Amino acid sequence: MRIEERRYTKADHFRATGYVLKTMKVTFKGAIRATKNRPCTILYPWEKLLYPDNFRGRPGIVLERCIGCARCAKECPNQCIEMVTIELPDKGKVKRPQVNLGRCMMCGNCAEACPTNAMIVTPEFELCSYSRGGLIFDPVKLQHPHKAGYEVNYSFALLSEMNAGGEIKTYAKNDNSVHDTIVLDGAKCISCSRCAKTCPTGAIEMVETGEVNPKTKKPIKQPKFDNTKCVVCEQCVDVCPKSALSVKEVL
Amino acid sequence: MPSDEMWINMGPQHPFNHGLWNLRVKLKGETITQAEPIIGYLHRGWEKMVENRTYSQIVPLADRLCYGSSLSWNHLYCLTAEKLFGIEAPERAKYIRVAVLELQRITSHLTWLMAVGTDLGSYTIMTWSIRERELFLDLLCKLSGARMTYNYCRIGGVRNDFPENYERDVNRTLDEFERRLRDLESLMDENEPFLMRTVGIGKMDGKTAMNLGLTGPIMRASGVDMDLRRLDPYEVYEDMKFEICTHTDGDVYARYRVRMDEMRESMKIVRQAMAEAPSGPIRVKAPRCPPKGNAVCHVEDPRGESLMYMVSDGTERPYRLKVRSPNFVNLSASPPMLLGFKISDVPAIMGVMDMCIGETDR
Amino acid sequence: MSNLYIELTNFTEWLLGLVAALLDWTKLGFLSDFGDWLQTAPVVDFVSTLLVAVIFLITAMMFGLCFIWQERKTLGRFMDRRGTQVGFLGFFQNFADGIKVILKEHIVPKDSDHLLFELAIFAYLASTFMLFGCIPYSDNFYVIDVDLAVLLGIAIFAFGPFSILIGGWSSNNKFTLIGGMRAAAQLIALEIPLLLCIVSVAVLTGDLSFVGVVTWQEENIWLIVPLCIGALTFFIAAIGESERIPFDLPEAEAELVEGWATEYGDVRWGLQMASDYFRAYILCGLFTMLFLGGWAGPEFIWAEAWYLSKTFIVFFFFIWVRAATVRIRTDQILKLGWRRLLPLAVVNLLIAVALKVAGVF
Repeated sequence: MRIEERRYTKADHFRATGYVLKTMKVTFKGAIRATKNRPCTILYPWEKLLYPDNFRGRPGIVLERCIGCARCAKECPNQCIEMVTIELPDKGKVKRPQVNLGRCMMCGNCAEACPTNAMIVTPEFELCSYSRGGLIFDPVKLQHPHKAGYEVNYSFALLSEMNAGGEIKTYAKNDNSVHDTIVLDGAKCISCSRCAKTCPTGAIEMVETGEVNPKTKKPIKQPKFDNTKCVVCEQCVDVCPKSALSVKEVL
Repeated sequence: MPSDEMWINMGPQHPFNHGLWNLRVKLKGETITQAEPIIGYLHRGWEKMVENRTYSQIVPLADRLCYGSSLSWNHLYCLTAEKLFGIEAPERAKYIRVAVLELQRITSHLTWLMAVGTDLGSYTIMTWSIRERELFLDLLCKLSGARMTYNYCRIGGVRNDFPENYERDVNRTLDEFERRLRDLESLMDENEPFLMRTVGIGKMDGKTAMNLGLTGPIMRASGVDMDLRRLDPYEVYEDMKFEICTHTDGDVYARYRVRMDEMRESMKIVRQAMAEAPSGPIRVKAPRCPPKGNAVCHVEDPRGESLMYMVSDGTERPYRLKVRSPNFVNLSASPPMLLGFKISDVPAIMGVMDMCIGETDR
Repeated sequence: MSNLYIELTNFTEWLLGLVAALLDWTKLGFLSDFGDWLQTAPVVDFVSTLLVAVIFLITAMMFGLCFIWQERKTLGRFMDRRGTQVGFLGFFQNFADGIKVILKEHIVPKDSDHLLFELAIFAYLASTFMLFGCIPYSDNFYVIDVDLAVLLGIAIFAFGPFSILIGGWSSNNKFTLIGGMRAAAQLIALEIPLLLCIVSVAVLTGDLSFVGVVTWQEENIWLIVPLCIGALTFFIAAIGESERIPFDLPEAEAELVEGWATEYGDVRWGLQMASDYFRAYILCGLFTMLFLGGWAGPEFIWAEAWYLSKTFIVFFFFIWVRAATVRIRTDQILKLGWRRLLPLAVVNLLIAVALKVAGVF
């Protein structure tokens, strides 16, 4: 769009007062409006803005739901989440996330990655503390009453289905039917069963393959994955001493 | 050096530079005879830092390149990554992105107007434009949950769909904003002191602007009809009906006009994109590791052409990510604009450039 | 209210009489003599003048602070915000600021001219405080009423640019130097139209004392009616003289950090900032006195209240102009001063002379 050119001529100088008067009229109207109603500013400590439910303040946790899968810790761009051991009355010693809010940038990626929606975003943003230690929220301090809308959900489609044409299905976050699977390279497996011990959901079961170890004459056990329970936290992949496990993505 | 000339360091801490940079000017009396912008005070090593992050972790970090228009950087990163991964966002996501990007453009331009107001000494312009910006911040907060760093685009789509009644809210806000924009314009267009400060200042013709590599509103104000939304359409910009705002004068006033008109055009685009958005999925699942290779993508930032170049070595972290910031190039073109003008014109000329040091220094 | 001087002379006589009686009571000869001397007319005059001056200084400073408060609140409404909120309606913000600047450290730049650096700011402040003495509040409430009171006020006013220039130069800072130069150029450019407007007032009223000018306006007509051009010129020049926003080049914070006062800290800076408002208060007072009939008005409230309310209304227009405009450039201010305001002031003077010659007044 070519805007009509506004050339600045000598004649403009003589209109100076008129021009200022027009602006003064506009500002005066604004002043009347601000006096008659009220100014648009918020008196912060006494009044607060109304925030929507999905407002991303500090991360919070619902401890009953957390399974300790450490996906939040992996996803965090600032590496401010650390898994610490705490004693829970019903579950005993477990690992739960601790957030260093001094580093947190409130991106909400942890809540988005959480498979059980235990990690939530809370509208709490007044986080001042007199020390850096006060900003490190251990799992108990991190708890926050849950309200619908605090958890981050998303839906996605699969590229393969989109390219194939036809009806495009959308899947919710952590839909068991489509999520990635862990595959085992049987040749590398040494049957140490560390993966089964680490698995937070008990999706891994050591089953006999039918073969027998020629030396010890004991049946060889290898992990078997229950996909309905698996949350793809990849702790088993990380813990495997022989790199026998890998993730197969569903695309 | 003759004794009647002196160097003045305007920066790194100076009321006129928004951000942390230094403008050295050599003055003869009050006239600028030489100018030299110095940057690097806010270098955070962003490009190196993201080499140690996975692709999905970089999305919120891309917001931090410029908090004034975080969504456009966020989007550019996701666009480049999609090209690298060889996937494409679903149709609905593209429309949502266009609508939100244009909301972000309006927000960014209002932030710029606020800075221009303080630079020129009118705090009314500042408070009024920041008040108008609040309308859009509320909209974007409702959509993404954050007021400034949205973290909204994802590789392969967007984070979430529009919330309930969002289209109604946006249309109401735009109607209200159209009325307020007229008030805001009359603060400047019909204000003789403002015209005295802007008209004929910092002149630059189209050819020089092209040679210096300027992009964005500053270049369009010099009469060059360049807008990547038209020249190299990304997302669904080719289906949108909008005008490219240009001006022939090439002075500070023209740059101001171009941005004000762009806000109107952005409103048009938002309305279209909201109305025409098809239903369907908003996000496709992105793989973790892209194939080996590289991708380059450029978009029309509120400030000009921003570009990202990404190299992948097949792992889940980028091997190299290069950012071309529009302000980095625009800033290098400031000495020819400043020469011969008074020191009082420095805030006017540099103010309309919409400096953002976060993306310039990275 | 009867004349302030008569009231205070009575009070001083009573006070000094008390002191003399006390001295007499000691039965020491030389002290009794001293007590007698205390009761002589010159001493009574001196002490009562001193008391008047102190009362005036405090009153004027309080009203100057009220100007700061008025600007903060009114400008807030213009900008759709609330303005200061400390204490009742924000009245205590000035005192909070004052306490803050008093507690600040006094810093002198290492390579500055120490003596001039210290003296310049006090010269500036002294000239501001001297101005308080020149402005009467009514024909009963004043410090001095000399025949040339208007000229005296403007003469003290013109002393400001010198101290600004010296202060800017002695700080050994490029920003303050440029700010000082600008202040000198701008104030001189705007002083001349200002003076010409005052001359036209003097031509019509035939008097240069404020009391005379106001009495003339009470008897005839407010001068803003015949001399509307002059009033406009005076208004614009007054905004420039008080360094307020369309013309606040000497401390344009966008380009020169804090202008000529960049290097001043602590209470010196606080008083400098306040004295900008004191000067605006004086100029509003001058405008009221010269064009708006001063304390003239229906007698259901005090004359002083009329004068002050008119002053506050004039300052409201100052604030309004500030809310509506942006800062303009040095060359444009000089152009405005010499090419626009000066001819207008001359035309105004011609009108005044014509009116006088035609015998309208």
